[in-house]
Amino acid sequence: MMQKNIDNIIAQSNDLRWQIGDEFHDNLAEGIYADAAEIVKASVHKPNENNRLRLDAKIDKIITSKTWGFPLMFLILAVVLWLTIVGANYPSSMLADLLLETIHPALKGYASTLGIPWWLDGFLIDGVYLAVAWVIAVMLPPMAIFFPLFTLLEDFGYLPRVAFNLDHLFKLSGAHGKQALTMSMGFGCNAAGVVATRIIDSPRERLIAIITNNFSLCNGRWPTQILIATIFIGAVVPSSFAGIASLGAVIGIAVLGICFMFLVSWALSKTVLKGEVSTFNLELPPYRPPRFWKTLYTSLIDRTLIVLWRAIVFAAPAGAVIWLISNIYVGDVSVAAWLIQSLDGFGFLLGLNGVILVAYIVAIPANEIVIPTILMLTVLVTGVSGGEGAGVMFELDSVNATGDLLRAGGWTLLTAVNLMLFSLLHNPCSTTIYTIYKETKSAKWTVVASILPVILGFVVTFLVAQVWRLLM
Amino acid sequence: MNTYNPLVALVIFFGLSLLAYLLLRPHKGWIWLIKKGSHSNDKIIVEDILKRLYHNENAGKHLNVNDIVRTMRQNDKMVIESIDVMVNQGLIRMEGDVVKLTKLGSEYALRIIRAHRLWERYLAEKTGFSKSEWHELAERKEHELSMDETNRLAYKLGNPQYDPHGDPIPTNTGKMAKLKGVPVSELQVNTIGRIINIKDKPDIIYKQILAENIHIGSIIRVVEKSATRIVFHSEGEAFKLAPILAGNITVSILEKDLSYEEDVSRLNILKKNETAKIIGISKEIRGESRRRLLDLGFVKGAEVSIDLLNPLGEPKAYLIKGTSIALRNNQASKILIKK
Repeated sequence: MMQKNIDNIIAQSNDLRWQIGDEFHDNLAEGIYADAAEIVKASVHKPNENNRLRLDAKIDKIITSKTWGFPLMFLILAVVLWLTIVGANYPSSMLADLLLETIHPALKGYASTLGIPWWLDGFLIDGVYLAVAWVIAVMLPPMAIFFPLFTLLEDFGYLPRVAFNLDHLFKLSGAHGKQALTMSMGFGCNAAGVVATRIIDSPRERLIAIITNNFSLCNGRWPTQILIATIFIGAVVPSSFAGIASLGAVIGIAVLGICFMFLVSWALSKTVLKGEVSTFNLELPPYRPPRFWKTLYTSLIDRTLIVLWRAIVFAAPAGAVIWLISNIYVGDVSVAAWLIQSLDGFGFLLGLNGVILVAYIVAIPANEIVIPTILMLTVLVTGVSGGEGAGVMFELDSVNATGDLLRAGGWTLLTAVNLMLFSLLHNPCSTTIYTIYKETKSAKWTVVASILPVILGFVVTFLVAQVWRLLM
Repeated sequence: MNTYNPLVALVIFFGLSLLAYLLLRPHKGWIWLIKKGSHSNDKIIVEDILKRLYHNENAGKHLNVNDIVRTMRQNDKMVIESIDVMVNQGLIRMEGDVVKLTKLGSEYALRIIRAHRLWERYLAEKTGFSKSEWHELAERKEHELSMDETNRLAYKLGNPQYDPHGDPIPTNTGKMAKLKGVPVSELQVNTIGRIINIKDKPDIIYKQILAENIHIGSIIRVVEKSATRIVFHSEGEAFKLAPILAGNITVSILEKDLSYEEDVSRLNILKKNETAKIIGISKEIRGESRRRLLDLGFVKGAEVSIDLLNPLGEPKAYLIKGTSIALRNNQASKILIKK
């Protein structure tokens, strides 16, 4: 009897379900929202906000206008980048003086008076300490300038308008307008850019933004680009144009990165990511005066220090590895020399060389130490005088001296151009890779984001090298 | 090392790229073909024949062996072998020349159709694949889902009644809602109806209908009818269709005075300084996107106006419930308003 009743009820509920139809859930949801709206209308009274709205509307009118919108945007981005790159020079060199020129020798001296064996002192001080010091000196000042500036613009309400203005361009490549922001954030630091993709609430577009963030030239790579462009690109044109030519080359690389970002975004959204859910909406919050001190505090703590800490955690073992491969001998060559030799052929095919490839392998944790590693390894394999010994990274004070050393290492204009390309198109640093994993929680997308740029880098440098050799 | 020829290197590189492309190209690459070949093809052929028979019997047509062989895009010999196997398994029986489904066979066919339509529903609700891809993906998936998986899928989707094209989904006991509609091509002038189904076959016609931006749930009014074209108004726009397209769109006829409002239009046509009331969100916006729009306040009765125009044309920012929300035109075109 009981069982029969239950069966009847189930049958009846099934019948009712069919009668109600598919729109039932929707109507219910809409009804609830509509009721809520009615209640709000009847019970919530707002003060007259007309004045503020009028000011907002005025600002919006300028910022999103056809004539002023885009120039204003590029101007602000240029100013922020200029302040970051130029402004960071002074504190960076001060930090370098302190950490590399003062404390490092002091530590070495201290170690020798204590009688610590050479290998332990080399491993700890020349390897681990030096890498960490380098990362701090190069990374901290630009981040401490860039992030607060960026966060202030965000707080003011300007950044959502940038996303609004640019959305159409990003839509064409299957991405979200807010990717303009995460991309700009990537100019500061890719790891921070990846974290910033949290503002994109659509799963597909967020993955696109994460995977393509590496195409934004980050703070760790700007100095490399500028140094190599100054040495090699500046040298091909008459000296009065050298500055402009090298600046143009660096900007060209950054713009090329943006092109790759659009291209890869488009390809991803059309292939592997097309099944991911895609939604769009963008809230334009009212403008408000930025809360200066709070912004400064949160951007320094939340963004700068966290990223710096991650970078240090990864840089320390890298320093150790760099020192070890230069000082451990198999037979009568060091591991580093052996690696360089075995990668030389492949490097040559790409228009690079073994030293550069080895430097990029061991310097995965931080792009900042690529140049010091390259210099150290070049001295190691060429036997040119200079440097501070096997496994001790260094940089030369003068650009000319650096150029001479690199040319002694067999560098040509092609090597320089391809290094600049490879610096743009290679795997993200390990801090970024780790951050991508934390954000996507997926090994698959982490691998894609790590491997894709380096494959692109191989292909691009390879093609450039072959065409160059055919034409020159 | 320095004596190699860059031209040779380039040729080798492009050769390898071409090879990789041929090997890995989705669905047509050699690796895919090998993988597909190793799967048993027989099951797919059997199930496709069952489906074909079911659809034809539903339309009152009966097929003979020749018809089946001709319409299946498969090796003739394999099709004939499959038909023999199916007779032995009691899925079909031969009445003279004509092939008919047995009870067992039509139950099997319904299971496949259920899996197909549920999967289309799943693709529409829970993934980002575009409309034009649903059918083809479901054609492959229907052969892979077991009955258990199909039931779990149905449960997860809330036992839906219709697939996204408006076709009824059979229940696990084989019940199916009847479509009570009339093709647009047979409507008289001035009839008002709601679109309830857009056939997803044949592919070419379906894609043309999609390109016209016509969707399920829209209310239409026929204004002109001739041998070469049918014109109807819907949501503030006029559509002109060839009869062959109109024949693939089914509507359920509504009473004349029932809730048809001629001045209904779409949010993307709203102009600056105009205010409108929202009537609803089209059925075309599903799943996550729909919920998001409802969350933001795009609900029936809400007032909406344009807040900001975009230097590049889209997205535009709309003022809704005191907040400025930017939407792209393809979304705004699916929000119905009354000025």
